[in-house]
Amino acid sequence: MTALSGPLLTLVDDLDRRFTALADRWRPTHVRFEPTVSAAFLDRMDYFRSFPHLFTAAVSLADDDATLESFVAGEPVVDGVLRLGALAPVTRVLSPAACYPLYDHRAGARISGREHHTMAATCFRREAEYVDWERQASFTMREVVCIGSAQDVADFLAEARMAVDELTAALRIPVEWQLASDPFFRPSRNPQYLMQQIDPTKHEVVYDGRLAIASANLHHDHFGRIFDIATTSSDSSETPAHTACLAFGVERWVAAIVQQHGPDPGGWPVVAP
Amino acid sequence: MTESEVRAALRGWVRDRSPDAVTEVTDDTPLISSRIITSLQVTDLLLLIEELRNAPIDPAALRPGVFRDIDTIYATFFAGDA
Repeated sequence: MTALSGPLLTLVDDLDRRFTALADRWRPTHVRFEPTVSAAFLDRMDYFRSFPHLFTAAVSLADDDATLESFVAGEPVVDGVLRLGALAPVTRVLSPAACYPLYDHRAGARISGREHHTMAATCFRREAEYVDWERQASFTMREVVCIGSAQDVADFLAEARMAVDELTAALRIPVEWQLASDPFFRPSRNPQYLMQQIDPTKHEVVYDGRLAIASANLHHDHFGRIFDIATTSSDSSETPAHTACLAFGVERWVAAIVQQHGPDPGGWPVVAP
Repeated sequence: MTESEVRAALRGWVRDRSPDAVTEVTDDTPLISSRIITSLQVTDLLLLIEELRNAPIDPAALRPGVFRDIDTIYATFFAGDA
């Protein structure tokens, strides 16, 4: 992607401010995480078996003299390819989704009532092909996460869908909600994919019949169970927490606005909150 | 297998996996919303249904709601609808 500047950079920044303003209706905790997540954490949610084709690891050369000497003695890059030698143990992965670190952050939490968090992150996914603004190796994701009871997260998702509908109407972006599933590896063998087929939990906001610019996702108590996050009731009993998230792909909103309203910024709707 | 045998087998499977809060399993006990069936159990249930009907199930043909309750499972996979 070329460097961002001028009106496009302003649009990107304004979009995130607009999404943040939308999130503020739930009075969320604003949180920011580092750009990598631990491999051990992702493994607990079975990420690697589900999405082996998508992740990008943060790798370093093995920290020994022989490896480093060999590396500098050769050509570090040949035909654009970095010629790595032995690697240090790989323990970190570039974050594939903005909300994932939250479930680690809230591991062990006991919650009474409903809580909300919002975070943005540069996310990384290896794809078969890339298209500027629409499918990038790295992209910006803003999310709002609700943690609470099953009813709490159902209410949140209903509110989230209304909020997104209001936003797309205000920005004059015609969209439709569509059922979707995550891009599992060999999906017919993946229990989580099968579960999504019989119990759809992902709804996408689709522009122009093809471009998902946001999604509303119900996780049931999946993360609550894995990371020991529980809701407590008045009699002190504990139940695995349910979670749901609303996610915005910032660059895709740029693509939708430019396609819908033209390349002249004078024709764009007012995006800043 | 007769219909009553299939339903009894399904009820037994569900009962063995029910959370403590679910005290009685009937053919209209919600299996998804009650979290009796999660992604941890879905493959086992598919295998059980294949065994009971003695025929494979194409995962691509699974539709929303087919595991809602035992009545729906029976109607979908044993009553000639799939």
